[in-house]
Amino acid sequence: MKISIDNKSVEVSRQMTVLEAADQNGIYIPRLCAHPELIPYGGCRLCIVEIEGIKGYPTACTAMVEDGMIIRTNTNMLQQMRRDLLQLILSEHPAACLLCDNIEGCSMFQETIRKVGVTTGCRWCPKDKDCELQRIVESFDVHELSLPGLYRDLPVEKYDPFFDRDYNLCIYCGRCVRICNEYRKSSVIAFRQRGKFTTIGPSFDENHIDAGCEFCGACVSVCPTGAMSEKSRKWWGLPDTYTKSVCPLCSINCDIQVLSLRDKIVGTLPPGKPHEAAGELCVKGRFCLSEMVNRTKRILEPSYLFPEGEGIIGWKEAFKRGAELIKDAGKGKTALYISPYLSMEEYSAIAYFARSVLKSSFVTSSCLDYNNTEYLRLSLRSIPLDKVRKSTSIISLFLNGNYNYAPLTMAVKNAASSGIPYYQIGWIRDSTSRFATNSIVPEPGDQVRILDDLIESIKGKSTHDPVIHQLAEHLKNEENALIVIGPSLISLSGMQQVLDRINVIIDLTRSKIYAPNPYGNIKGMLSANEMKPVEIITEKVEKGDIALVYLIGDMPFSERSTDYKLIYQSAFPAPENLRPDLVLPSAVWGEFQGTWPGMKGSTARARKAAKPHDYAKLNIDIINSMSAYAGKKGVLESMSKKNRKITGKFIPHLPVRESALENEEKLNGMEKLPFILISERSPHTYMNLQLDRAVEGLNELISPCYLLINHSDARKLGISGGEYVTIADSEYELTRPVKIRKNIPAGVIYITDNKSVIGFKSNPCYVNLSREHV
Amino acid sequence: MKPKKLSFLEILDSYSAEESSLIPLLQDAQDEDGYISPEKVEGIAQHLKITESQVYGVASFYSQFRFTPPGRHSISVCLGTACHVSGGETLLNTFERDLEISPGECTPDGRFDLNRVACLGCCALAPVVKIDDDIYSKVNVIKLNDIIGLYE
Ligand code: SF4
Ligand code: SF4
Ligand code: SF4
Ligand code: FES
Ligand code: FES
Repeated sequence: MKISIDNKSVEVSRQMTVLEAADQNGIYIPRLCAHPELIPYGGCRLCIVEIEGIKGYPTACTAMVEDGMIIRTNTNMLQQMRRDLLQLILSEHPAACLLCDNIEGCSMFQETIRKVGVTTGCRWCPKDKDCELQRIVESFDVHELSLPGLYRDLPVEKYDPFFDRDYNLCIYCGRCVRICNEYRKSSVIAFRQRGKFTTIGPSFDENHIDAGCEFCGACVSVCPTGAMSEKSRKWWGLPDTYTKSVCPLCSINCDIQVLSLRDKIVGTLPPGKPHEAAGELCVKGRFCLSEMVNRTKRILEPSYLFPEGEGIIGWKEAFKRGAELIKDAGKGKTALYISPYLSMEEYSAIAYFARSVLKSSFVTSSCLDYNNTEYLRLSLRSIPLDKVRKSTSIISLFLNGNYNYAPLTMAVKNAASSGIPYYQIGWIRDSTSRFATNSIVPEPGDQVRILDDLIESIKGKSTHDPVIHQLAEHLKNEENALIVIGPSLISLSGMQQVLDRINVIIDLTRSKIYAPNPYGNIKGMLSANEMKPVEIITEKVEKGDIALVYLIGDMPFSERSTDYKLIYQSAFPAPENLRPDLVLPSAVWGEFQGTWPGMKGSTARARKAAKPHDYAKLNIDIINSMSAYAGKKGVLESMSKKNRKITGKFIPHLPVRESALENEEKLNGMEKLPFILISERSPHTYMNLQLDRAVEGLNELISPCYLLINHSDARKLGISGGEYVTIADSEYELTRPVKIRKNIPAGVIYITDNKSVIGFKSNPCYVNLSREHV
Repeated sequence: MKPKKLSFLEILDSYSAEESSLIPLLQDAQDEDGYISPEKVEGIAQHLKITESQVYGVASFYSQFRFTPPGRHSISVCLGTACHVSGGETLLNTFERDLEISPGECTPDGRFDLNRVACLGCCALAPVVKIDDDIYSKVNVIKLNDIIGLYE
């Protein structure tokens, strides 16, 4: 198609809007509500244009180009109308700074008072210099208001984690509502009421947590004004560097960009132009990474445990003492525990270090316990994430996608809303549940029986359960039926039996699987190192067969049992009782560059976005110097230049072991009580840091150690949030405070901390719930 | 003869799980006991597989839906064009001040609820106030007290 824009004749190849055509040809039309990820909306009307033969002033973001169209974007008339529109917007938008005589001096010398409770103008706005409205107003040189101003005087909403909302600054472009609804498929916020009473938010005056917000930050990213702002970044100002990187917080390894200012990481965004990229990140990649680097307790300097107590030492001294500890331990007497959150380069260096310097084959990681290993075996068979979208039917088993694995849950939601049948089996409601064709909430203990029924049905036996029958038909007949398995499976009773059944189903059918895991680089760790099951190594340590334990970012135990020496290398402090002999502060993600092979099928690189914290050193440098002090060639020298570049195929080797399971656990036949208690291990970790404890906002969302119950149960029992309740079965009881959460189904009690519920008969199990009377 | 009133759950079951059911469903749900409670929003959202925010967003757009229990008597002040220019806003403000409630709310003693409507279709009588099924025409602030006194 040939069209003309501002007397320039241009070719467009496909159906597109006038706005897109102008953008493609470098012609800028002002806009506030249009967004590349969103369906055209035509709300702000700033993008009005003149099109020959069309009456009035159509909006460029909604008008489609047609062959031979003659478009003008910049006539005096249009500019005047845009100025009037801006006047209308500004009459309801705090604009003190735009009208202030001191505007120039103020930006440069900050000569006016800046401590105000509310945002009254750009200099007091968290988005100063990063605001689309400000940019447009400045380009139109608007310096006075011809209409009376109105301040809506809405309360600033600060009660939810991670971002604040000040709708006094909102221009009702609807991007937040639309991105949440159309793109993220969460529909947490909506326009409420209408006309001048319009506000944005969840139903009634509910908070975002209860309204099912994932805290993905997409709405914050695309808001053109300061109405939405990130709590931890709002007063930093514009970052000076944007670094491409990858999120290390789960097996999905999302692409991200790291925002830094004067060599400090201040935030993270999905890749792409800020304000444009809505992204597929979860709350961890969007909000927790920068807080993890900067706002958690880090180890500042190396230290050594002298007979008279712990003392700070310099790095040289640290290497010397480290080398001595290694030498004293001798060959085959060292156990090395490593974290599944390191880069490929670090793993290669560690492999050399273990072989040539520690001379030990006792390499393991606390994530390689029996249940986890078996889950990881399944996880590593996952299809690439982009294939998830091609599935013809999806079944999720024990998936808890809340605050987690967002690209996966988005793929499931998208597939399901385009009509792909989606079945969810499990006890937890997550962001995909609303899209399920059918949900099965098994009775506790029925997790194995359901799969047995499914297998029988696949084999052709008739079943009385119509949903199981449908499931079997999908799995049997479809090339691209997908089974999504969530890591909450690891904590379930009968986990091994469930895994066996899943394997049988995979063998019987052609179905594909996707099983995310909470570790950032399990593939890298297992392909660089021959690793042993953690129980075997820990048993050696406990029997006294080990003289030196060396931990790199891993923490398999929280106190010392027998008499061995301990080197603790990590970014985050060890628990008090561990008392390591030597402490070596290491850098974290973001402070170095590294390769992540990931489950996506392609290799990603995390680049350096800031310098390491205080005296922390990179793991590679620590290992390198330690090797040199121990009289070995440094790791870096040992790897020729060519080898140092990490490329190629990564073949993970999981430790093989005999099945610990002789008899199948007997699961059913439990006494029925009014509630179902379900627990899972926290999947929110990085190295030895428990993110859901260290990062305040995540702590609020996950609330580990609280019993989470449904609001209607709470109402029935007259329980309010924070109150202590006791849950009990015939063998065990536990008293804990409750939190009331809408995403917990009625009749279910959920806790993220499976150590404290270990005394209960099984997981999940039936319990009674009663109020603690004080 | 009036048909038997359906319970909220029966109402839900009588609609298929499609988004187009939303508005008729909201109407029936309101008919049941005069307003739409948070629990009903939740029930409707679950039934239609949309979020509560979506249900509430749509419902709050229309002034016919209310979210607090109705009073024994329902006051509607017309703010359509004719009534607006002849003082409807002043009447509404007076009600708000005298009854100490905002539009959409109900007095603590349950006597009145207050609403604004856009045109009751009798513009010649503007400004118009409607209480329950009674229409009061050419109302002014002085008349208001007497009118209210007629309802207990
Ligand atoms: S953070 Fe994400 S889920 Fe929450 S309101 Fe914004 S877009 Fe919706
Ligand atoms: S909060 Fe921001 S994105 Fe949402 S409507 Fe207002 S200005 Fe637009
Ligand atoms: S889904 Fe995983 S990789 Fe993506 S942002 Fe979240 S934690 Fe990071
Ligand atoms: S950008 Fe086209 S109407 Fe807002
Ligand atoms: S405007 Fe009030 S009745 Fe028409």
